[in-house]
Order: sequence, then C-alpha cells, then structure tokens
Amino acid sequence: MRISRAISVASVSAFALGLSGCSGGDAAPAAAPTRASSPLAAHAAWSRSADSGATAAVYFWLVNRSTVADTLTGARSELAEETTLHVSMEHGGTMHMAAVASLPVPAKDSVAFQPLGAHVMLRGLRRPLVDGDTVALTLTFASGRSIPVRSGVRLP
Amino acid sequence: MHGTVMDPPSAAPPLVAAGDTSVPAWSLKDVAGRTTLLFFGYTSCPDVCPTVLADWARAKRALGSDTADYAFVFVAVDPARDSPETTRRHARQFDAGFLGVALSDAEVATVTRDWGFAVYPEGDPRQPNYTVAHPAHAFVVDRRGRLRLMLRPGVRGEDIASDLRRIR
Repeated sequence: MRISRAISVASVSAFALGLSGCSGGDAAPAAAPTRASSPLAAHAAWSRSADSGATAAVYFWLVNRSTVADTLTGARSELAEETTLHVSMEHGGTMHMAAVASLPVPAKDSVAFQPLGAHVMLRGLRRPLVDGDTVALTLTFASGRSIPVRSGVRLP
Repeated sequence: MHGTVMDPPSAAPPLVAAGDTSVPAWSLKDVAGRTTLLFFGYTSCPDVCPTVLADWARAKRALGSDTADYAFVFVAVDPARDSPETTRRHARQFDAGFLGVALSDAEVATVTRDWGFAVYPEGDPRQPNYTVAHPAHAFVVDRRGRLRLMLRPGVRGEDIASDLRRIR
C-alpha cells in the first residue's frame, strides 16, 4: 500500500510536469527586490474563499528558471494550523488525497499546482478567506531557498 | 457525455439522511421530478470537492432559467466532522440553491453498500488532518429516478450543463 502510493504520487507529479509548458526566461517574477535573484517563483497563485476553521487549497505555477533542479520540500503559512503539500489522485473510481513530503521542480521548467492535482493545503484557517483577500505563504526547497507567495482569494 | 453513461439505465438506489434537530431529514425521493447531480465528499476536502461544486455552480448559471428542473446535492460522508448544518452551509457557499446533506455512520454504511462505492478515512481518523477516500464521479439521476451518468471530475460547467440538458 505504501509503496504503491509512492509510485502513484511519482506518476501524478510526472503527469503534472508533462502538462507544464511555461518554462523559459520570459516569466519574470514580480518579487520583492531582495528576492530578485531567486530563480524560483510561484505565478498566478489563487485560493477559493473559505470559512474560518475550514481547509483550503492554494494553486500556482511553480517556475524554476535555473539550470539546476530543485525540490519543493515544504510550505508554511501563519494563516493555518497546518500547511502541507498534497496531491489528489483517482484510482479505480475512488478519489484520494495524499500528503507528500516533497515534489521535484526540474531545471528550466515549471510545475502546475492545480485543481485535482498537486496543491498546498491550509488546514484549520485562523481567519476566513474572503473574495479579494490575499493569502501569504512561504515555499521552502531542498536547496535551502525559500520564496514568498501571495495568493489571491476568489469566490468559491 | 462527459463520463460513463448507464445504458440501459436502472433505478438509482435509495439515499436517505435522517438529519438532526436543526436540519430536517432528506431523501433522494424529495427531488423526484428533477434531474439531480449527486457528489459524495466531505467539507474539509480542500481540492476535489470544492472544484466539483464550483464547476456545478458554473453549470447552474449556464442552465439559466431552467434551474428549477435540476437539483445539485453535495452529500457529506465524513460523519465525525460534518454535521448536517455544517454541510448545508458548505454547499450553499457555492450556490444558494445547492443542497448539502450529511450522512451518519450507519447511513454511510448503507449508501456505500447500495451504491457500490467505497468511502474510508485515510491517515489516522483520531487526528484532525485525516482525509477521506470518496467516489471520484458525480452521479446524475434523471427526473424519473434512474441513474443515467457518472460524470467525471474536472468537466467544465458549460459541459456539465450540456450533459444535464441531454438527460430526459
């Protein structure tokens, strides 16, 4: 069970990578000046509105402009009791959602965090997420880098 | 159609939620005469369930003035965390006309047996962060109570509306 799930997660992330298509140098991140040198950026981040105490997902395109691969190893946010990386997947008509310890971010490529796939999960929201609001979180990587993400909240 | 068409169609199994002191009982029979979408999930599902409900909301808007002919029912299968009131409120966040119905442990056991799908917690159910395995598809029941389509997740609202219009 545990082994099959690890394989499934790997195949799901490979699928997500296969869908990626916005690699290249044209996607200049709108980051703070101190972060301008980071080759990693999360673009078009968004979340659905949700009640206080509820669980929400954050979606984005994670772009790595470096020639060196990296690995997303965590996410944190003061907005939630727990912030984790999750992947949704279907097996034989049943939908599962598994926590994953890390997700690879290949060199000169991008990874889609999108509905029905990989996402950052915010469990136990400390305040409601309201349409037009912004969610701040930080993504951390195996390289030691970390990047801020500002996710726009939209109606569910 | 965006999913598995049941051909020939057969009568949908029963689906009954007893409710509680604040929320009345509900039965699939209550929406007889309306084409009904059913999705079995849980309110703390952050990804698949809200994605489906948001797509339903778009579908309902796309159906325009015909919406009285349709029912959209989110059925919570996580009795430990989802009360009838929590579930009702959750469904209405996506569209004021959506129904949210919570099943008890006994009702989950009955429904999974009658409908032939699996629901079970993943992770430690004593911890607040367990997840729930649930059916990937939404079920479409026609106005005569027959199961007609298992609609896969990720279908755009306009396409859901198109499928619903074709189910007579």
